[in-house]
Amino acid sequence: MQRVLVVDDEEVLRMLIEDTLEDLENVEIHTAENGTEALTKLSEELYDLVILDYMMPEMTGIEVLEALEKEQKNAMPILMLTAKAQENDRSKAREAGARYFMPKPFSPMELLQIVEGILSENNEAL
Amino acid sequence: MRTTKRSNTSIKTKYYQIITLLFVLIVLTVSVLFFYINTQQSRLKSEREVLQTKANIIDELAGTLNEVFFRARGYIALKSTNELGLLNTALENLDGILNQYAGLNLSPEEAEYREALSAFYTNYKSQTLPKVMRLVENDDYEGIRTLSQSGSTKSLNDFLAYTKAFKESSDQQLSDMADRSILRADSYTVAAFGISAFLLLFFTLMIWRGLKILIDPIVRLEEATHSLAAGETVLLGKLEKQDEIGRLYEAFLNMAHSIQDKEEELTMQNEELYAQQDELQDQQFKLERSLSEIESMMKALDQTSAVGILSDKGLFTYANSNLSSYTGYRNAEIIGYPFRLFELLNMTSSQMEQIISKLSTGGNWSGEIEVLVKDGQESVWLHMTVMPYLNDEGKVYQYILIANNITSLKSVQQQLAVTLQNTEQTTFMLERYNRLNHELTYTLDKQEFAEKFSGFMNQIYDFDSSLFLLVQDKITVVKGVPQANVERYLDHHHSEILHRLGEEQSYIIQRVGSPREQGISPDEVYCYDLYTSVVGSSNEILAVFCGSRIGRTFTEEELSEIQGLMSRVALAIERLMMYEEIEHGRKLNRDIVNNVNEGIQFVNTEGVMQHINKALSELFRYSDWTEGSLVPAEDWLEAFTGKSNESAELRQFYEHAMSESAMDSSTMKYSLGTEEIQHVDVYAIPVLRREDRIGTLFVHRDITREYELDLMKSELVSTVSHELRTPLSSVLGFTELLLSKTMKPEKQLKYLETIHKEAKRLTELINDFLDLQRMESGTQQYNVEPAHLSEIVLGVIDQYKLSSTHHILLEDDAVQDEVAVDKDKIIQVLTNLLSNAIKFSPGSHEVKVLLHNEPNRIIVRVHDQGLGIPKNQIGQLFQKFRRVDNSASKRIGGTGLGLAICKEIIEKHKGTIGIESVEGEGTTVWFSLPMELAEDSGHVEESAKWGADKEQKPNVMIVEDDYSLSLLLSEELKGKGFRVTHHYHPQKAFDQALKSSFVAIVVDLMLGVELDGWDLIRMLKNDPRTEQVPIVISSALDKTDKSMLENVKTYLTKPYPPGELSNTLQEIVEIQLKSGEVLFPDNDC
Repeated sequence: MQRVLVVDDEEVLRMLIEDTLEDLENVEIHTAENGTEALTKLSEELYDLVILDYMMPEMTGIEVLEALEKEQKNAMPILMLTAKAQENDRSKAREAGARYFMPKPFSPMELLQIVEGILSENNEAL
Repeated sequence: MRTTKRSNTSIKTKYYQIITLLFVLIVLTVSVLFFYINTQQSRLKSEREVLQTKANIIDELAGTLNEVFFRARGYIALKSTNELGLLNTALENLDGILNQYAGLNLSPEEAEYREALSAFYTNYKSQTLPKVMRLVENDDYEGIRTLSQSGSTKSLNDFLAYTKAFKESSDQQLSDMADRSILRADSYTVAAFGISAFLLLFFTLMIWRGLKILIDPIVRLEEATHSLAAGETVLLGKLEKQDEIGRLYEAFLNMAHSIQDKEEELTMQNEELYAQQDELQDQQFKLERSLSEIESMMKALDQTSAVGILSDKGLFTYANSNLSSYTGYRNAEIIGYPFRLFELLNMTSSQMEQIISKLSTGGNWSGEIEVLVKDGQESVWLHMTVMPYLNDEGKVYQYILIANNITSLKSVQQQLAVTLQNTEQTTFMLERYNRLNHELTYTLDKQEFAEKFSGFMNQIYDFDSSLFLLVQDKITVVKGVPQANVERYLDHHHSEILHRLGEEQSYIIQRVGSPREQGISPDEVYCYDLYTSVVGSSNEILAVFCGSRIGRTFTEEELSEIQGLMSRVALAIERLMMYEEIEHGRKLNRDIVNNVNEGIQFVNTEGVMQHINKALSELFRYSDWTEGSLVPAEDWLEAFTGKSNESAELRQFYEHAMSESAMDSSTMKYSLGTEEIQHVDVYAIPVLRREDRIGTLFVHRDITREYELDLMKSELVSTVSHELRTPLSSVLGFTELLLSKTMKPEKQLKYLETIHKEAKRLTELINDFLDLQRMESGTQQYNVEPAHLSEIVLGVIDQYKLSSTHHILLEDDAVQDEVAVDKDKIIQVLTNLLSNAIKFSPGSHEVKVLLHNEPNRIIVRVHDQGLGIPKNQIGQLFQKFRRVDNSASKRIGGTGLGLAICKEIIEKHKGTIGIESVEGEGTTVWFSLPMELAEDSGHVEESAKWGADKEQKPNVMIVEDDYSLSLLLSEELKGKGFRVTHHYHPQKAFDQALKSSFVAIVVDLMLGVELDGWDLIRMLKNDPRTEQVPIVISSALDKTDKSMLENVKTYLTKPYPPGELSNTLQEIVEIQLKSGEVLFPDNDC
């Protein structure tokens, strides 16, 4: 069973991602509605993938990544959802440890494919 | 110091030291030797003594033993007791000697003998002797014989043998010892001889060395003395010695040097004497020559000068031909006559007397005299010297007189004096003129200039009155003219004079002086008025000078001088005018430069800052520069770049821009300050003068506003894009899910609802954004018309009545609510504020709207008890897309543009909007609008009946669900000075009644589904806190429920005229006021 954590402040988007990924076999979807909650969850359990929104109030996606980096917990794959398509934001996120990007608005099917790819890569690695 | 050192090193001391040392050494050696020999001798002696003692004791021991045996045999043989007594004594002796022997230093062999002897003694005394005595008494001689043959005597015999041997050996030892001592004595003699030889050698060495030290320099000295005596130069090296010889050496050297010096001196003096002799000869020769020269000079004198000789009585005894020719007297006419023959023109007789008395006492006289030529009108100037000749007694016996004709010289001299005087005058004039020139050149002020010039003219030309006028500036300087005359002149004669001066540059008017000018003079005086003009380069008259002199006219010279002066003044005035023009231009430029908003800075090619304007000094808060000062590059660079946040970059920019290679303009942006950051754009451009670079101009422009706008704009763009992408993500995402997945119809419906909601949100967002854009760009149209704000507010609240989760309470305290507004826009504002209040107070169920007046305006407050806003974020709320950033508020959503739109609308209505909030307690958003002044102020007067203070106004609650009716009633009541609180829900009305005090409650019976008016009345009457509040029913129903009517003060059946309600309420209030029982329920119960 693989575990995916979806972090987005918009309830509708969480629902959308959850519903998109619900058909994946052997995958559990968890959600967090802000950075603080995400960090708590990440410290409690291990996840195989984190889907992280960039623009969130209080704590941005980058700040979540930086907090993870500080605790050296950024080894897991991180997919960053970003409405900001600017290159400098991307490089900032890459530096902070995000490996995958997806611009908003995104296609759920594409997201599904990418997530499937990442998770199967994880499996092979195992 | 020096003397002690000398005494230390002197030969005497040295030899004292050596002798002392030698003496000590000998004494020491002898005593050591003596001591050593002595010790050796005494050791030998003691050794011998020991040996002797030992030998004596052994001798004694042997003797005693022999005596013992002798006595014992005697006793045995004689049986005599006397012999026994002697035996016992001998035994005791033996014991004593044995003990003595034991005390000696014994060899091991001797010790053995001693042991054996003592054993024998003990045995003999204690056993053998008694045994023998017993045997003797018994006369048992056999026994004695056996006893004597027993071994006990053997050791005795051995001992006796030993004593004999010992005696021999000790004798041998003693003789050995004597031999040894003789040998030792020999070696001592040898040693003593050796030491004596060594000492002698040492002594000889010392003496030899001392002689060498002493003799050598003495020999050298002797040689030097010989050479000195021979007159050679003494060549003595320095002797590095401090002793007597050294000093002698030094003294000798000094002496030799001084002898040599003196010799040289003598030689020199000798040479000098020779030279003097030569000189004397030379002088004699010269004297002879000059004597002959004098003779020839005398001849020459006789030819060139007049020579005369006077006797001691003053009579001429000799006169040469020159004297005759000069004076016109023949020789014969002079000889025999006194000097007074000549008539002196330049000398009085008393002066003559003085000269004569001086001469007669032997003094010389020399001077110039003017002599009248004989029979003539002419005179001749003579330079004459008179010398008296004295005889041996010191008495004058004759006078010699020598005179030269200086007549021609004299006349030249006189001419020169005249010329000199003229020159002095000219110099004086020139000096004056120069000073004037100087002053005119350095005077930059016209008034000062005029004063100086006028002063100069008066000083030189001595005018009695004058006037100097600068035509263009009407500057006048006057002397001796009343001010009134000046004005009259300027008014009347000015143009006339100017006209004439236009034709001729100067003219003179001669006129009869006025009585004032005539003064005390008995005759008529004439006055001469000079009018002259200063003409500029383009022939215009720049200035006019009028000067008047009483009784003195002007010479041609003066006139031409003045003319020249005027042209000089013309130049000066033109220069002054030019200076003023330039100065004006400069000031204008400075004012322009100082008044532009951009900071301007000019730096010359050396980097020295020559100018900055006001804006720049304000920008950098730099006050070190003043007009005309030069600031070195390092100073201002330090001061300016130090204030920038990009210090290094700015310095680099400056340095690059000032470098010679930088011929194009360059720009840079930098910022200043830390808290309020100023953004500045600077551009630099080289300044050229005829293709030569003279410096660099820097223009600094404060672009903080633009910068911030730019920043805001890009922030806005990114925010908008984010805000738009989120709903778009949902719409696209769910659509795609719907298209690509099969799902249950319920899910499909849910998705569609979400899509719809998000699309609506998107639309709202776009609408809001466009609204705001329109408003901000000023294209929004406002249809302003008079309206009642209470009506608008109630209308909006009415909209929420059914749909909302919150109860909206209106407390209307505004007596006047006439405003001029665009109704739709105000509704938009109110809707926005109310929906915000509802959205952001999820935990509460009440939103309160309050209306009240302040002077000339009406204020609406929307108050909720919701989440509240953190203090630091309140200020940002009116900015676009600013929502309070926390998850609680995030969940609520919204476009983030609402408040910005409200602000725009309210400000367009000349109102203000604000927020007060405490986080966690609630928020109040308020706005105020200006009042439309009402035509009649009757309402105000009536409301004053109960005082202007809103707390004192009687508060009436209206519980009515029809908002138009509610509005109608409230208008009526407010007009009568009541405060009105609106309610449409019975339960809320009841809750409110418990909290606030009301003079009456107006209730509509048909209120809602759950509770109606009767329920409310029941609740009120059943609660002790509210049972006393008068109730007025306002209903369309007829009075039906009689049972409840007793609780009701008045029953008004709709429709009734509005005045009836207010009259009724006024009655109620007045009754309460009279009885003094206005009911105010406790607020906190």
